[in-house]
Amino acid sequence: MDVDLELYPGEVLAIVGDNGAGKSTLIKVLTGVYQADKGEIRIDGKTVQVRSRRDSIDAGIAAVYQNLGLVDSLPAPENVFLGVEPIKRIFGLPFIDNREMRERTIAILRDRVGVSLPNVDEPTRNFSGGQRQAVAIARAINAAELKVLVMDEPTAALGPEETRNTLNLIRAVKERGTSIILISHNLDHVFKVADRVQVMRGGRKAGVAVVANSTRRDVLGMIVGTDVDEDAHV
Amino acid sequence: MTMTTTIPADKNAGRKVALPWYERYINIVGPLVMIIALVIAMLIFERRYFEFQNMMIILQDAAIFMVLGMAMTIVITGKGIDLSIGAVAALSAVIMAMLIKDQGWPVYPAMLAGVVVGLTCGTINGLVITRLNVPDLLATLAMDQIYRGIGLVLAAGAVLARFPEPIPFLGRGRAFDLIPTAAIVGLIFLALGFVLYRYTWLGRYAIAIGGNREAAVLTGINIRRQKVYHYMLMGTCAAIAGILLTGRLNAIQATAGMGFALHTIAAVVVGGTALFGGRGSMFGTLVGVLLLAMVTNALVMLRFQFFWQLVASGIIIIASIGFYSYLQRRGNSDAKGDD
Repeated sequence: MDVDLELYPGEVLAIVGDNGAGKSTLIKVLTGVYQADKGEIRIDGKTVQVRSRRDSIDAGIAAVYQNLGLVDSLPAPENVFLGVEPIKRIFGLPFIDNREMRERTIAILRDRVGVSLPNVDEPTRNFSGGQRQAVAIARAINAAELKVLVMDEPTAALGPEETRNTLNLIRAVKERGTSIILISHNLDHVFKVADRVQVMRGGRKAGVAVVANSTRRDVLGMIVGTDVDEDAHV
Repeated sequence: MTMTTTIPADKNAGRKVALPWYERYINIVGPLVMIIALVIAMLIFERRYFEFQNMMIILQDAAIFMVLGMAMTIVITGKGIDLSIGAVAALSAVIMAMLIKDQGWPVYPAMLAGVVVGLTCGTINGLVITRLNVPDLLATLAMDQIYRGIGLVLAAGAVLARFPEPIPFLGRGRAFDLIPTAAIVGLIFLALGFVLYRYTWLGRYAIAIGGNREAAVLTGINIRRQKVYHYMLMGTCAAIAGILLTGRLNAIQATAGMGFALHTIAAVVVGGTALFGGRGSMFGTLVGVLLLAMVTNALVMLRFQFFWQLVASGIIIIASIGFYSYLQRRGNSDAKGDD
């Protein structure tokens, strides 16, 4: 597989392609799950080494996976700060500062994700799909000095209402200055939120389309590798 | 300028349906209902049940299981279980007793030695589970035999009795001639457990490990290390329970503490801690421990044979777990819209 990928500050870049086109592999290289045989990753012009998940987080790249990885029985702040809890020392002993965690979670959700959750203190098991998505994004943002948010099929398992919420969420996060790489099967969703679309085919970059100047047909043509006639069904 | 939107908690859009209002109190609703039923029954059959002295006896009986239940709540929350606690309590108490009676150790160093024995047993449990990858249930079942066997060999059938203070005072004394000292120790441990559970990484990571192991791994939590900590805490608490047990009868033998594990697990689960991890409550454990002690006491007072107490605690365990399973099934099927 031999691919290059360019992401501009503050944009949503969608990556589309058939199963096996190499989308997931590309993302796993970016997030340090796999290592590239050759090539480099540069952020703001600086080359960064990504050999592990930790490296990727330190470089400002964080991923939200489809299953979100939330602990259902914990409320939003506990999930956002899981593993990186703020500590308050009492008699020298480390205690988790639940209040600070809650305030910072609300602030991240408001300032970086653009949402407010009325039920932030309830277990996330009680959350709607869009709310869970927001919590997972907030965790990714909190984990790093986040520059690039990778979202793997965020709408795949959602109903129409939740899909709309999630797409709004993606727009809101972008408007607040985080670049997003969105992996999706769904061209409708891609055309709603992405600025550019990179098409993958057979482990290679088949092309890049600027959403504002392209049609679904153009993109679909790149996915299957031929021109598509007007009636083709997406 | 961008606006902040509120994402509604649309009940129908959720991945799982929000459980009804009582979900928040679920861990104590079951046992509270049973306590109320018990109180009504005893009002009818035996008013002496409510006398102050009898309440103190109930607290006295519950005390050991408060100490054990505190640690067990954390162990079970982290998707573990410890069946060896009875043997650990007996072994550490026997060693403490032999140091005092046979070796002439002063009491406090001997007590400390007992606690160290418990801590060591717990550490071994944790290492066997996490390093040899033996499932918690089987590992602690086998270790139970080992600890019990060592205790029997050491004590060689002897009953060691009559210990210096503060052991009897801790086990059966009354603080201010009023409240059982053991119950105060138990409540202090539960309060400590509440803090551990809610305000330290120990409890927080136990919930994460039991609730979503992958998520815990991805956030960099060292699951093996955390689980060893859980069993270390459990072993330490078992040793302290062993001291209380020794003091209570002012005697100890290697066969003591049989049935501790099931009774403790029952109290914890009755108190709403999920048997398969991820959710728990120290307050629920207190309620569960008290419920079991109240039932046992009621049966004694109504002159049921001891054996009926076993039947009763078995029924309570099955009923509570069945009740939670029922609620869980209902919650899930509402969300998925099937079965």
